[in-house]
Amino acid sequence: MNKFPTLATERLTMRPPEARDLWAYTAFYTDSEAARWKGGVLRRDQVWRRLAEDIGHWHLKQFGVWMLVRRDDGQVVGGTGLWHPEGWPRHELTWWLLPHSRGTGLALEASQAIVSFAVNSLGWPSVETHIQDDNLPAHRLARRLGGEVIARERFPDDIERDVYRLAPTDAMPVGTADGGVSQGPGVGQPPALGQGPGEGQDEGHGQGQGQGQGQGQGTGEPA
Amino acid sequence: MSALPDIPVLQTERLTLRAPAERDFQAWVDFYARGDTRYVGGPIHRNVVWRTLAAYLGHWAMRGYGMWAVEERATGTFCGNVGLWFPEGWPEAEIGWTLLDRAVGRGIAFEAAAAAREHAYGALGWDTVISLIDPANARSIRLAERLGATLDGHVTHAQYGRMAVYRHPGPTAAGARADATGVQA
Repeated sequence: MNKFPTLATERLTMRPPEARDLWAYTAFYTDSEAARWKGGVLRRDQVWRRLAEDIGHWHLKQFGVWMLVRRDDGQVVGGTGLWHPEGWPRHELTWWLLPHSRGTGLALEASQAIVSFAVNSLGWPSVETHIQDDNLPAHRLARRLGGEVIARERFPDDIERDVYRLAPTDAMPVGTADGGVSQGPGVGQPPALGQGPGEGQDEGHGQGQGQGQGQGQGTGEPA
Repeated sequence: MSALPDIPVLQTERLTLRAPAERDFQAWVDFYARGDTRYVGGPIHRNVVWRTLAAYLGHWAMRGYGMWAVEERATGTFCGNVGLWFPEGWPEAEIGWTLLDRAVGRGIAFEAAAAAREHAYGALGWDTVISLIDPANARSIRLAERLGATLDGHVTHAQYGRMAVYRHPGPTAAGARADATGVQA
């Protein structure tokens, strides 16, 4: 039986999604404000399918979205991962947090671990993410991850987005005492995971996995 | 570490039922672009086909059963997907089938569905199962009836609309029927 990787940071255990995460998906995707950057509110049957798709993404791509589980109490607080479904021109780092866990630095902490995993374990040269103009919290998080805008593109859903390249491992940002971001030492050291700079900053909403692609519209049902 | 679903392989006289895989993708893209897919939600864009394939695998992980990919044993030719399907919004678990055009009219869906039903009643220990069918899909209704299923009402789904519920015979009756047709699961 094949296995998918689990990651750990200072405050989080990160594991691929499972059936028991349906409640977290439901809490996120049935809340209109929370789901704003993910294509809008879903019905319960669509939420279930979204979870099934996210699990299946791991099987088809060997990477995907991890559930963020707080180490101190075992609670799922959101999802963060690498997403590249058929038909989307670029892979992306994507993230979402349940409302009570925003502003805790957890999306940043998880994202740093995932960028490191992508570069060190998957062998990717870098990680990309693309963000709609009005998703300001996501732009802030991308910049705090050391991201630089490398392109501006019109995506298949006809929305233009900035494309960020997130710094590879040897240039991962490390937190500074004032909560700012500076460049890492650039000597191939592992990133300072779990340093969680900038506690209390607003990471805001999850950002853009395939808005308007008709997710959950899937048919092809049997019979 | 998280586990991939453990998807059993079933063998029948002519068919192998195996895990859905990425290599099935292009056949479905072609099918949903050109085939007769009005009763199975088509036409469907390739991006959504990919997500459906992902959802098949996720369903296995979430439920412990799901849709198989059906291949002809003699040639390895991919015929379609048949299996046990119970996503959120379904009234109960069903035996579902979606066959490629090249596999229609040869008893392949019947043989695979009978094997799936035997797995449900045997390995999984179920005592009943249905099939949900578009009431206008006469070919699929004929297949359900050949399998011994009978109309047992209708349901309305938020996305797929009104569907007929065909209930299969229970484990004892279905076993006798499968034996008579030479199915070996």
